[in-house]
Order: sequence, then structure tokens, then C-alpha cells
Amino acid sequence: MFRSPGLFSRAWVRRAITAIAVIAVLAVPLGFDEYTNQNLARIGVFAVAVLGLNVVMGYTGQVSLGQIFFVGVGAYVTAYGATHGWNIGVVLVASILIPGVIGLLVALAAARLGGLAIAMLTLALPIVGVPLAKRLSDYTGGSQGLSSAFSSAPEWSGLYNDQWQLYVVLVVGGAVFLLTRNLVRGKYGRAFAIVKSNEAVAASMGISPYRYKVLAFTVASLIGGVSGFLYMAVVQFTSPETLSLGHSVTLLASMVIGGSASIVGSLLGGAYYVLAPQLANHVDPNTTELLQGALLLLVLFLLPGGLVSLPRVIARKLRRNRPTGGADRQQSSSGAPARGRKAVEEAPTMSGIPTGRPE
Amino acid sequence: MGQFIQLVVDGLSNGSIYAVLALAIVLVNQATGLINFAQGGMAVFSAYITWLLTEHGLSLILAILLSVLASFVLGALVERLVMRRFERGDPDTAVVVTIGLLTLITGICGWLWTYNNQQFRSLFSLTTVSIFGAAVSIRSIGTFAVIAVIMLFLQALFLGTKFGLALRAVAINPKSAALSGLPVGRLLMAGWGLAAALGAVAGALVAPQLTLTPGMMDTALVYALAAVILGGQSSPVGVVVAAWLIGVVENLAAVYVHFIGYDLKVAVPFILTFVVLVVRPQGLFGRKVVARV
Repeated sequence: MFRSPGLFSRAWVRRAITAIAVIAVLAVPLGFDEYTNQNLARIGVFAVAVLGLNVVMGYTGQVSLGQIFFVGVGAYVTAYGATHGWNIGVVLVASILIPGVIGLLVALAAARLGGLAIAMLTLALPIVGVPLAKRLSDYTGGSQGLSSAFSSAPEWSGLYNDQWQLYVVLVVGGAVFLLTRNLVRGKYGRAFAIVKSNEAVAASMGISPYRYKVLAFTVASLIGGVSGFLYMAVVQFTSPETLSLGHSVTLLASMVIGGSASIVGSLLGGAYYVLAPQLANHVDPNTTELLQGALLLLVLFLLPGGLVSLPRVIARKLRRNRPTGGADRQQSSSGAPARGRKAVEEAPTMSGIPTGRPE
Repeated sequence: MGQFIQLVVDGLSNGSIYAVLALAIVLVNQATGLINFAQGGMAVFSAYITWLLTEHGLSLILAILLSVLASFVLGALVERLVMRRFERGDPDTAVVVTIGLLTLITGICGWLWTYNNQQFRSLFSLTTVSIFGAAVSIRSIGTFAVIAVIMLFLQALFLGTKFGLALRAVAINPKSAALSGLPVGRLLMAGWGLAAALGAVAGALVAPQLTLTPGMMDTALVYALAAVILGGQSSPVGVVVAAWLIGVVENLAAVYVHFIGYDLKVAVPFILTFVVLVVRPQGLFGRKVVARV
């Protein structure tokens, strides 16, 4: 956010700002009414889901239509564990690991195919997931779904349920965002960026595209599991409908509209996921899908970096008063990461080599 | 035995519908190197056009033919106005664009014609005939026959005409094709138009069975994509064979494998694909793609 050198680049200032921001965020649940808190908690839930999708799609360039499946599995595991009286820690770990293992198995097969096969295979996850959830009714409650109110505020906290749930989302979601930010800014993030920009170059540098695709997909499904846990904590109900294809497409649209390969973009994506249908419902419930499709295409045409790039685009337009040329369009939708600056610095030198992209 | 034959014929009939959609996907994939997730949505839109025309009193055959023509034009326009800009860029972005198109087209259908099911007249009668003791519906045989004719037509178009040769040239190497004077842009439009026209046929064949809704083709799209992967992305014949295989195997599995049953038969193509991919990543009939660096 703070790009200008000087005061904001000093470490202690940044730390102080971070500390103030954290305190401000932690104070939020106390200051709003129940409806706002619930909306904020939902935004947090889906921001985590979008973040997971961003790891595999935004940063690594593998289109995934299956992210909602892992959210759903995480939610089901949480609901099952909570209704069977498991320890909450065990529930959390199981709701992360089980989707992760499924994700790993899917990725091991899907990543063998180059290019777009991951997109095609992941499409199957929600399509198969819905009837599967209905079939395994001993564990999932069938079409009725499962509900579990394990996330009521404990006696000692003196909080209302909605405040407590928002705190759960803030703490768990915050931890996931922090970990993911570190992941995509470090060694792995650079490897993801090279795999995304050119697999042949990645391979020639000793970075196995296969291994990193599998890794990214597995991380995405782990994060999806966390999102599922939070979903259950906030919504307290899950059914086969939770993991339908429509939701997965909306999740993908949210990621692109928020801004791909961007941490802040994931937050915006979560906000879009929750708020856009509410807004569209005010207009006409029948137009929700129409508006979403139109908006997604508009963003791809006009603002390939997503909403998160809006301030930058405006700033650039103001700075250079000449008509924008090809340079602006170079940024593809899944283009330059807004935050992972290190990753970008590597990428241009890579794509500068005249190479053929593997189809 | 009678049941077995019936299942196989019905499977071939279902498989034929997946095959048309899969052929449309391969057609676009060959020309532009991308997977069009909106192919099913476009087919639904075409089916709605057909339905609208029959509601206005046209005969079904005429309505289908008009819808095929309209779909060709619409498909070409989609290529020119939406996809053209993303074709030379990042393939992943282009895929997201097609997913956006799918959402938009489904949304338009839902907005114009509501999300309620609409009855769609069948091209073939539902009466059954007896073949080797199995009751086989005229519809299954008819669907299969229509697809067979379309395949022969496509084969003739691609191998026997100058237009087909030009399309193949653009698919193999757009730059060289442009240098030898081919109108690459117009040929790409024609490729998309042909794919959309194929989709219109698939839509008209599948709509009577499923009744017409904006999301009608979602499952068929999944089967078609599975057929594309299974058959190898570059092989039209392989894709059709894979689609038939999927149609037959899923029908048999639904009846004979107790756990799968009718509700989980959608998982069959993916189990099949999963197994094949582990052994042959390029698909049953596909070639290995080698990238030149």
C-alpha cells in the first residue's frame, strides 16, 4: 500500500502501522451490530477460500474450478467432528488435512497433463462432489445437510456469538493470510511465478513444474479446508449445495475481480463473493448470474489486474498524460502480482527470453 | 442380455451427445489452443432459440436448422468481439474469459427465459423397437444416426475441401498460414461458428431428455471435457470413441456396480480418466506435446 520511499519505508514505522492496524481490526467486532459482524465474518471465510484459489491459480497459473469442493469437505469434516464431540483442535487439524490429502491425490494425476487439464479435471470435483455428499448420508446427513453450533461464544469471554465468531475468523484467517503471504513472497513464490510464466524455462532451471503445481494445488486445498472450518464456525450449517459448481465459478470470478496473485485482492474477492449477490438481489434475483458474468468480462477487458490494481491504474493514468499503449495491456489478468514484488522482479527477465510457451 | 443391449445402445446415444460437444471443444482447441468452457452454455442458448422458434409455430426441423445458422453467426461474433483479444495472450486468462462467457450466457438465458424448466419437443418418437430381444427407443437410434452423419460431414469438410484445409492450416501454424495469404481472423471466426453450430445440434438432441434449463448442459460439458482428455486433445476420432466409451461404461456401471448407481454415475468418466492419465498422460489417442524453447 505504501510505496513512496521515506517515512513509510522505515521498519519501525511499518511495524507501528501494522500494530495499529491489528488493534483496529481486533476492535472491529465490538463496535458493529450483529448483521455487520456476520457479513464481515462471511467475507473473512470466503477471503480465505479465494486466497487458496489464488495460490494455485493467481500465483502458479493453474486454473482450478474445484476450490469450493475443498471448502465443502472442510465444512463437512468440521460438522462431523463437532457433532461427534471431537476436541476442537482435532477438528481443525482434520478439517485442514483431509481436504489437503484429497487435493494432493487429485493434483498428482491432474498435473501430469500439461496446460488446461487441471481446469478440466477440477471441474469434476464439484460435479461429483454434490451427488457424493448426498450418497454418503451416514456422514454428511444427505440432502438435509449437517448443522452444528459448536462456535457459540464461551461463558468467560462475555461476548455475543457473532462477535466471538468474527474473532475466530480474524485469528484463524489472519494466520492463514500471514503464512500464505510469506509462502508466496519467498523461494516457493518465485518458483510458482516461473512455473506460471514458462514451464520449459522453469524445468531448465531445475524447478520441476510438476512438483510445484502439485505443491500449489495441495496448499490451495489445505487453505480451502481452513475456509471450510471457518464456514462451519460462521454459518453453522452445510449441505451438498455448499459445494455446487455455481459457487466454484463464483469463487473463481471473485478471485479475478478482486485481483489475482494478490493478497489484498483475495480480501476484495471475499468481499465481492459475499456482497455482490446481496446487491444483485436488490436489483432482481434473476440477474445475479448475468451481472456476475458481465462484470467478470468487463474486469478482464478493462482492468486485468482486478480491483486491487485500480489505485495503481488511476495513479498511472494521472502520472502519464499520454494515451496508454501496449504497456498497460501487457499485464494479463493473472498478471503481475501486486504485493509479491520479489516474484515480479524475477518474472520479466524470464519472459524476456524469446521462448515458445508449451501448449 | 436384453437389458445389456439396451444399456449399450442408450449409452451410445448419450455418448453421441457428449461426442458432439466434445468435437466442438476440440474444434476450438485445435484452432486456438484453448478450452472453451462456454461451449455448453452456447449450446443451451441455441436450444433456447430453437425452443422459441417452435413456440412461434415453426416446425421442429426448420427451427433446428435456423438455430444452427444463428448459432454459427453468434459463435463467429463471440470469437471476433470477445475472444480475439485474448487469443494471443496467456492461455489461462483466455480460459477465465470462457468461464466468464459461460456465466454470462447462462445468466442471459435465465434472465430472458427464467430458470424454470421448459418442455422441448423431441425430434424422434419415444416408441421402442425390439432388437435381439432388447427394447431400444427410436430416439437412441436416431440420436446415434444424426451424430454419425455429422461426423462424416465434418470428416469430409476437413479432409475434402479447401476450406477445411485452410482451417487445419490455421490450427497447425497461424503465423505461417497468415504469411501464405489465408485470412486467419475470418477462419478463426468460422471455426468458432462451426463449433457453436455443432453445439446447437447437441442442444436440440439433449433438451427433450433433460427439459430445457439454463444449466442443462453443465453435466454434459463435464462428460465432454472428460472425453476430450480421455481421447487426447488433438484427436477428433479419439474424442468420439472416448465419448462413446464413457456413455456405455457409465450406463453399465450405473446398473451393475451397486455403489455407483444412477446418482453417482457422473463419477465414472473421471475414474476412467484418472486411471488412463496415470498410464498415458497424453490420452488414449493423443500425441505427446513437445514444447520448443
